[in-house]
Amino acid sequence: MAVPAQLEFFLDPSRCIGCQACLQACTECDTHKGQSMIQLDYLDRAYSTQTAPVVCLHCETPTCAEVCPADAIKRTEDGVVQTARKPRCIACNNCVLACPFGVPKMNTRMNLMMKCDMCYDRTSSGLKPWCASVCPSQALAFGTREEMMRLRPNARPVNAFQFGLQIIRTKVNVMAPRDWPDEVVDVTAAMYEPTIGHDMLDDIFVNIGDEV
Amino acid sequence: MKNSPPASTPTPALELETIRRFGPHVVHERESAGDSGADKLVKTHCCFCGQQCGVQLKVRHNTVIGIEPWYEFPFNRGMLCPKGIKRYLQQAHPDRLLHAWQKDSATPDGFSAVPYEDAVRRLAGEIERIQREHGHDAFGVLSGASLTTEKTYLMGKFAHMCLRTSNIDYNGRLCMVSAAAGNKKAFGIDRAANPWEDILGAEVILVSGANVAECAPITTNYIWQAREQGAKVIVVDPRITPIARTCDLFLPVKPGRDTALFNGILHLMIENDWLDRGFIQAHTAGFEALAESVREWTPGRTAEVTGIAEKSVRQAAEWWGVAKSSFLLHARGLEHHSNGVKNVMSAINIVLASGRIGRPNCGYATITGQANGQGGREHGQKCDQLPGGRDLSNPEHRAHVAAVWGMNAADLPSPGVDAYEIIRKIDKGEIKGLLSICFNPVVSLPDNNFVRQALEKLEFFAVIDFFMSETARYADVVLPGSLQEEDEGTVTQVEGRIIRIKKAVESPGDARSDWKIIQDIAQALGRGQGFTFDSPQSIFEELRAASKGGVADYSGVTYERVEDNFGVFWPCPDEIPEGAPALGPRGTVRLFEPGSWNPVAKGAGPFYFPDGKARFNLTPYVGPAEDVDAEYPIILTTGRVVSQFLSGNQTRRIGPLVDHYPEPRIELHPRLAERLGIADGDWTTVESRRGNCTLRASVVRTIRPDTVFIPYHWAGRKSANQLTISAQDPISKIPEYKVCAVRLRRADSPPEYAELLQPQQ
Amino acid sequence: MLWGVGTTATLAGLIVAGSRNLAHFDAALVAYTFSVLFATFGLTYRYSMWLQRPPTGLYWSRGWQAFLRPRRRFANLRSWLGRMGSDVLANRFIFRRGPSRWLTHMLIMWGCLIAVAITFPLVFGWLYFRPVVGDLSLYEAVIFGFPAFRFPHESATAFFLFHGLVWASFAVIGGVMLAIRRRMRDDGAAALQRFGEDFMPLILLFAVSVTGLMLTVSYTWMAGHAYSFIAILHAITVIGTFLWLPFGKFFHIFQRPAQLGVAFYKDVGRLEEAAHCRRCGHAFSSRMHVEDLILVQRQLGFSYEIPGNTAEHYQWICPPCRRASFAMAQSVLWRGRRGGAALPTQAGLLPMPTPVNNGLGEGPLGEEDAENFHP
Repeated sequence: MAVPAQLEFFLDPSRCIGCQACLQACTECDTHKGQSMIQLDYLDRAYSTQTAPVVCLHCETPTCAEVCPADAIKRTEDGVVQTARKPRCIACNNCVLACPFGVPKMNTRMNLMMKCDMCYDRTSSGLKPWCASVCPSQALAFGTREEMMRLRPNARPVNAFQFGLQIIRTKVNVMAPRDWPDEVVDVTAAMYEPTIGHDMLDDIFVNIGDEV
Repeated sequence: MKNSPPASTPTPALELETIRRFGPHVVHERESAGDSGADKLVKTHCCFCGQQCGVQLKVRHNTVIGIEPWYEFPFNRGMLCPKGIKRYLQQAHPDRLLHAWQKDSATPDGFSAVPYEDAVRRLAGEIERIQREHGHDAFGVLSGASLTTEKTYLMGKFAHMCLRTSNIDYNGRLCMVSAAAGNKKAFGIDRAANPWEDILGAEVILVSGANVAECAPITTNYIWQAREQGAKVIVVDPRITPIARTCDLFLPVKPGRDTALFNGILHLMIENDWLDRGFIQAHTAGFEALAESVREWTPGRTAEVTGIAEKSVRQAAEWWGVAKSSFLLHARGLEHHSNGVKNVMSAINIVLASGRIGRPNCGYATITGQANGQGGREHGQKCDQLPGGRDLSNPEHRAHVAAVWGMNAADLPSPGVDAYEIIRKIDKGEIKGLLSICFNPVVSLPDNNFVRQALEKLEFFAVIDFFMSETARYADVVLPGSLQEEDEGTVTQVEGRIIRIKKAVESPGDARSDWKIIQDIAQALGRGQGFTFDSPQSIFEELRAASKGGVADYSGVTYERVEDNFGVFWPCPDEIPEGAPALGPRGTVRLFEPGSWNPVAKGAGPFYFPDGKARFNLTPYVGPAEDVDAEYPIILTTGRVVSQFLSGNQTRRIGPLVDHYPEPRIELHPRLAERLGIADGDWTTVESRRGNCTLRASVVRTIRPDTVFIPYHWAGRKSANQLTISAQDPISKIPEYKVCAVRLRRADSPPEYAELLQPQQ
Repeated sequence: MLWGVGTTATLAGLIVAGSRNLAHFDAALVAYTFSVLFATFGLTYRYSMWLQRPPTGLYWSRGWQAFLRPRRRFANLRSWLGRMGSDVLANRFIFRRGPSRWLTHMLIMWGCLIAVAITFPLVFGWLYFRPVVGDLSLYEAVIFGFPAFRFPHESATAFFLFHGLVWASFAVIGGVMLAIRRRMRDDGAAALQRFGEDFMPLILLFAVSVTGLMLTVSYTWMAGHAYSFIAILHAITVIGTFLWLPFGKFFHIFQRPAQLGVAFYKDVGRLEEAAHCRRCGHAFSSRMHVEDLILVQRQLGFSYEIPGNTAEHYQWICPPCRRASFAMAQSVLWRGRRGGAALPTQAGLLPMPTPVNNGLGEGPLGEEDAENFHP
C-alpha cells in the first residue's frame, strides 16, 4: 500500500497555538507508542507564545538518508522518508545533526533514531496522520490540494526551501500567501528573525508598573 | 509593602495519607501487552468541554484502550485537543472508586470500604433524620453540568420531588450563568444564537474574554478558517493568549473593565452612525435610553478606564461598526465578574445595534465551558428552575411539571439559593446535610478556605464520584458513580446541538450509573414514586414531555433523530402551529431568523419576548468588587490551561496531561518581576485578604504588567481559589474569579508541599 | 569485487586446509559448502560497497582511529569488551525496545549462533568425531585436523553435542513464533512490515529449523523414513537462507557491529571541543562531528554553505534553531497580512527554542537527544 498521490500534507506554522494536541496524538501511534515524533518548541516564551510545529518534511533527496552510514533510512516510492530501520540503525546521530529541518530524534537507550513517517500506517490506507487529524488550528493539515486551495483562498502551498546555497524540495508543503512572488522559502534569510506577536508595552502602560 | 501574610489566613492541610491512598496518581499508558487491536469502536463525544467533539473510543475487553478520530462528525471533523486525545486513560484508572467508602477516623487515610447498599441506606437514613428534625430545606443538593441531560433532569426532579428541598444548585453557577442571564434579558432565550459554521463567513470576529486556543481549542480552526477568507480578528484579553498572538487587533483590557469597553464602542458606533437603524426600529426595544447612557463613554474615558490605547478602541469600533457580517464570541473572561451579566449585556448591545444577528455569518455566542453546560442549565437543577427552561416561581410552569411528575404542584418547593449561598447556609447552620455529585467545590469555588470550613460543619455529607475528589475527602459517605463512557444519554453542546453519549464499557466493581444511584436513594427513602426509570432513554422520554411548551423545548427530539442528523438543535417542538415555518431535521439551527416562530412571541417577531423584540439593556459601568489599593496593589486573574479541565479531578490523573503543565505557575510581566526581584522559576508568594499561595513564577511579556495570572485546576496549597473573592453578580450569582487584589513577593523558601507532593496532587 | 573474490578464496583455502585436503570433507555436504562460499562472496562484496559510501567510509576510518588512539587502547579494549557483552551478546538496547522483543531476538540470535558453530565446522570438515581406538566407550573430537578432546558415549557432553542442533532449532522456532505473533497482533508492526523484509527471513528460519528437526525425527523414531526427501528439503531451505544473507534483513548481522565504532567515535567527541550553535550560542554536538558532516555533505554534493553569513555553513546551526528558522521563514511570509509584529529582543544571539513538553516521550529521547535539543 502507498499514500494516495492526491493526498498531501500542508503545514502552516504561523497558525499554531501550541496546544500540544499533535504531540499527544503522535504518542498514540502504535509504531512508537508513548513517544512523540513531532517537534514543537517555544521560539522565545519570555516574549511570545509563538510555537514551531515541525513534522518531517519528507525531502525528495533526504539529507538524513544520504548521510546515514548504515543505509537505514529509506524513502518509499510514494515519497515518504521512513524512520530508521531498527536492525540497521547504529545510532550514529548523523541524521539528527544533518537534517536541515531539525526533525529526527535519537533514542539513545534503544540505539535508534526515530522520526516522523507521516503515520505511514494511516496515510498508506488513506487516513489522515494523527497530528493533522487532531490539530485544532489546522496548522497541520492533510487533504487534497483542491480542498486546500478552496478552504484557504489567499494561500498556496510551496515545497522548496533554501538553506544557504542548497535548495531542498519536499513532499510536505508549507502555506505561503497566494500572491507571494517566489517559489523557494529562504530559511537561512529568516534565521535571525525575532518572534512575531503583540507587545504589551503599549504607551498606555508607561506608568502602570510604578503603582506597585 | 508589608511582607507578613494576614494573620488569619487559613491554610489547607496536605492530607498526605489520603492522597497516598486515593491519589491523584498519574497513569501514562494503557498496558496493551503488544496487542493493540480494538474489539470495537464506539462513536461518542469527549467528556470534557462544552464543544463536545465527536470521537471514537477504542474498546477491548471492557476497557477503553485508546481513541480514533471521528472524521464524519461535522463540528470537529476529527480534530481534538490534548485532553480529548488522552481522556481514555481515566477509564480503568487505579484511583477509580470501585466500591462505597465511609469516613473512618481509625484508618490512616480516613476512609474504610462499606457495602454499597449499606452506604445508600445510611444516606437515606440521614436525609430522613435531617429533614424530620430541621425541615425539608435543611438538606441541600449540589449537582453538575458535566452530567448528561438525563441525569441533570433527574437531579432536579430528585431534589424538587423526592427531597422537596429548595436548595439544589449546580456548578454551572461558576460557569455560564452570567451569559445565561444576559441572554435571557436581551433575547428571552439562553442559547448560542448561531451554529459555529456561521463564524466562517464573518468579516469581523470579536473574541472577548475567551482564551479560545486553550479553553475551546477546536473553535480556533473556525476562526482561522474565517481569517483565511479575509476576516479580521479582534481579541480582548489581559493576556496575549495564543489566539491573540496573531490577531489583527489586540485590546489588552484591564480585568473587570469590559462594560466600559463595550459602552465605549457603542458610543463610537452611535457617533459615526455605524448602526442598523432599520433593525433597531423593527426588532428591538430600549435603544434610546441606552444611547443616552453611553454618551459619557468617550474614547478618551474608555481608554482611561479599560487601560487600552484610545487608537485601538477607535479601530475596534470602526471595524465592528462598518462590517457587513460579524460574529461576537465571549466566555468566562467576560462573565466571571461581580458585574458579569452587565458585561454580557453590554456586548450584546453592540451586536443588536449592528443588526447583525439571526442571519448567516452574523452571529453571537457564549462559548460554553462544561460538557453539558448548555443542557445542564435547562432542565431543573438550577435553584429557580424547572425542566424546559421553566421557572419554579411561575404557577403555570409548576402546574405543567407537577402534572408530568404526577404530584401536587403545591408540594413543589419554592426557589432556593445559588451554590455559593448554599455553602454560606451550611456555614450558618441552616443546611445540615448535603449530597454532591459532579462538583468539586473545595477546588472550584472562590475563597475555598471558607468552603472547606463550611463543609466540616455539615452533620452529614454524601458525595457521588468516580474518583476521591478533594471534596469527597470531606464526605461521610462516598458512592461510586460512573464515568461518561460508562453510560448512555444526551448532552447539549456549545451550539445548542443535542448529541448522543454512548456507553462504551460497563462500570467496574460496585460502581454504577449515577441515575441508578439516585433512584436507589429514592427507594431507600421510601419515596420511590417517579424514580423507577429503567434506562436513560426512558428518562429522556419523560424529559421531552416535561420540556414541551417551554423555551427549551425538546419534545420533538428522539435518540434516533439525534443520531441520524449528527445532533438536533433545540428548540425542537414536536408540533409546529399552522403557518409557522417548518423545522428541518436538525431542529432550530439558527435562532432569531426573520419570520421564525417561537412559543413566546408566537409569531410576533424573532425574539423570545411576547412582542418578538430584543431588548437593549442599560449597562452602567461598575468596577470590580475588590479593586487594587496600596496594600494589595496587583490584580489577580485566574483561568485555565489547555491540558487541564476544571478542578482537575480527571485530568490531574492523566499522566501525559500532567507532564504538559505539571503545576500551577504564577504568570507575571518582567517589568513587575524586576521591580519585585523575582526571576523566572522563583518560588513566589501571592497573598490576598483571604489566603496565600506559593508557586513558581513564570516571567513573560504576554500579560499586562499590572496583572498576574494563575490557572485554577489544582487543589489544596496550590489552589488559586484560596485567593479569589466570593463576591457575586447580583443577578447571575456568578463569582468574581477574574479580578481580585493581591500582593506578591519572592518566597523565602520553597513551600512545604514542594517535597511532599507530586505535581498533580 | 576484489575483496569479495579474496575472502571467498581465503575461505576455500581454509576449507581445504582444515579438512586436510578434503580428506575429512563430507561430500554429501558439498552443496552447503558452495552456498556458503557464494554467500561469503556476496557479503564481502556488499560490505565493501557499503564502505564506499562517503558517510560509511568516514565513520569506518574515524571509528578505527578513535579505537586505536594512542594511550587509550587499553581503556578502549575494556569498553569494547563491555559493549560487546551488553550490546552484541546481551542485546541490551533491544531489551529497552521491549522485553518480549528482546526475548525474541535472543532466542533467534543464539539459536542461529549455536547452529552455525556446530554445522559450519562439520560442513567444512573442520570438525569431526571418531571413536577412540582401544576404548569404544569414548569419542574423540578432531578440530582442524588436530585431536582436541575425548568424551564418553553416554555422557551429558555427548548428549548436548550431538543434539545441539535440536536445541538450537527449538530456540529459533520459539523466537520465530514470538516474532510472528507480534507481527500478527501489533497494529504498529502490521503497518510497517513488508513481506520480503520482515516475513521472508522468519519463514526461512522456520523452514530451516523445522526441516532440521524432521531429520532427527526421521532417523530417531521413524527408522529413516523419508529421510532423503527431508534431507533435500533441508538443504534447499538452508542454501536459500545463505543465498539470501547478503541481500535482505540478515545483512544487519554483519553491519550491526559498526555500532561499536560509533560508540568510540562519540567517546572521542565528548572528550574534545564542542560545537556551538551560531544562532543561539549553545553547545550541541562535537566540533569533530559537525566538521566531518560538512565534509561528508560536500562529498555527497550538498551545499549548505551560507556565503556572507557569519554562520558560514548551516551545519553550524543546532537542530532546535533550524526548526525555529524554518517556522520563522514561513511566518515572515505573512508579515503585514496576519496580525502581530516582530517583537523586540535583546541584541546578540537569539534565545534558544525550548521544547514545549519535556514529559515522558515528548521531549528529548534520552541524554544524547537532550544534547541534540540542548545541553
